[in-house]
Amino acid sequence: MTTKKKRSPPTESDSWVLIAPDSVVASRKTRDPDATFVSLRNPATDGGSQYLFSNGDMQVFEVKAFSEDYRSWFIGQRVQRDGRLLYVTPVDPLFLLLPYLRKAGAEGKFQPLQQVVMDEDYPGCMRLLSCTHSVDSLHHVADEKEVGSMKFHRYSQEKTMEWLQKKVERIVRMLKKSDISVGGGVKSSTFIRVKEENHVTEVDYLCYAHGLISEYISEDLSKDLHKHLQLPEMSSPNKAEPPSKKRKLSDKPVEAGEDYTKFNSADFARKPPKKMTAAQKTLAKVDKTGMKTMSAFFSPKVKQENN
Amino acid sequence: MSANSSVTVVQLDSAAQANKEQLHLLPCEIEHNGPAEVSRFYSPTVKDHKHEMTVSFRGRPLKGQEVNCPQGYTGLVLKEVQRPSSDQEDRIVKVSSVFNNFTRWNLETPPTSDDGVVMAMMWPKLAEAIHGPIDE
Repeated sequence: MTTKKKRSPPTESDSWVLIAPDSVVASRKTRDPDATFVSLRNPATDGGSQYLFSNGDMQVFEVKAFSEDYRSWFIGQRVQRDGRLLYVTPVDPLFLLLPYLRKAGAEGKFQPLQQVVMDEDYPGCMRLLSCTHSVDSLHHVADEKEVGSMKFHRYSQEKTMEWLQKKVERIVRMLKKSDISVGGGVKSSTFIRVKEENHVTEVDYLCYAHGLISEYISEDLSKDLHKHLQLPEMSSPNKAEPPSKKRKLSDKPVEAGEDYTKFNSADFARKPPKKMTAAQKTLAKVDKTGMKTMSAFFSPKVKQENN
Repeated sequence: MSANSSVTVVQLDSAAQANKEQLHLLPCEIEHNGPAEVSRFYSPTVKDHKHEMTVSFRGRPLKGQEVNCPQGYTGLVLKEVQRPSSDQEDRIVKVSSVFNNFTRWNLETPPTSDDGVVMAMMWPKLAEAIHGPIDE
């Protein structure tokens, strides 16, 4: 064995590689040609994550970092040490509004939205109110009352559960017709359809979709949804997840660290790992031979190149 | 005052003048940010036959694969215009290059469709199912 050469600590990068929807790039032709990275409260972790607003705050996107150890970029005639690929994809603003609505809903009163969506720690949350499919979609998760020209809202757990269930059902439909339903369908170049082999059941799909949704809701809401979907009780996982892979691609949201332009995902932690989240428990229960967790989905099948 | 009140502004109109550059994702960490003579020493040794890309980098053979951005998506390289003097100030970045594909290089194992970044290109589809608005 050769002794490991010590790596110098990463210097702060001033350049980032990302993949973003065409609509973001096209919005440069609109009246508001700038897009803005803003730190907002992550509904699943309650910590800060980076989100991108574009088109005059009408659209909001989440930023995920795909990173592996020992990667760097050549960009034209330049080296960039930071080998991460940042992924900008749409996020449903209702997920981000939900924590505020639930908090206000505890009082059981109808309230104007401007009073509900306020956050000293994340003042950028106001931008969410400008998004399409935010204010006009609130009826999915809240009761509405109109007095004159004013609208008042009150969180509704029932409606939220139904809304989340519709999302779960749509994800299941999508998973079924897609190759990625069973972790890409392709486990190796020999193309084994794991799907048929292991009889992935409806419940497996539901659990998987529940796990995906749980990345965007709080832990207790995730538990409620689990109950609402009448998913089987979580038992201790019989098939232990393989020890965490060294080469991991993160499917985690980009954390707003102290220097929030670091887009760091490595030190991200939903909760101390001693306790599994509801979603993780659910996923752990699922027969993994035919399914993959989100992180596995983004991990290469090869174990490690360097052992 | 919360540090979260400052934002990073992306000047998208800079995308019109952005370069189209070749991107390579290398299987090693290079402890350097800055200019490199890629076209002189790297690009000429890339061999592409029968869809098998190989290159020699510092005496190591690498295996490569072209990765296309998912449909409806564009690759961007953002660069900070000027670093602000305090964390209360907004940061400004511009689009320094745009790309529609990049080359991913591995060490011994040829990149396959199971490869992480290749798989990641499927994420938008999943994101759409999770985040698309519920009608009616």
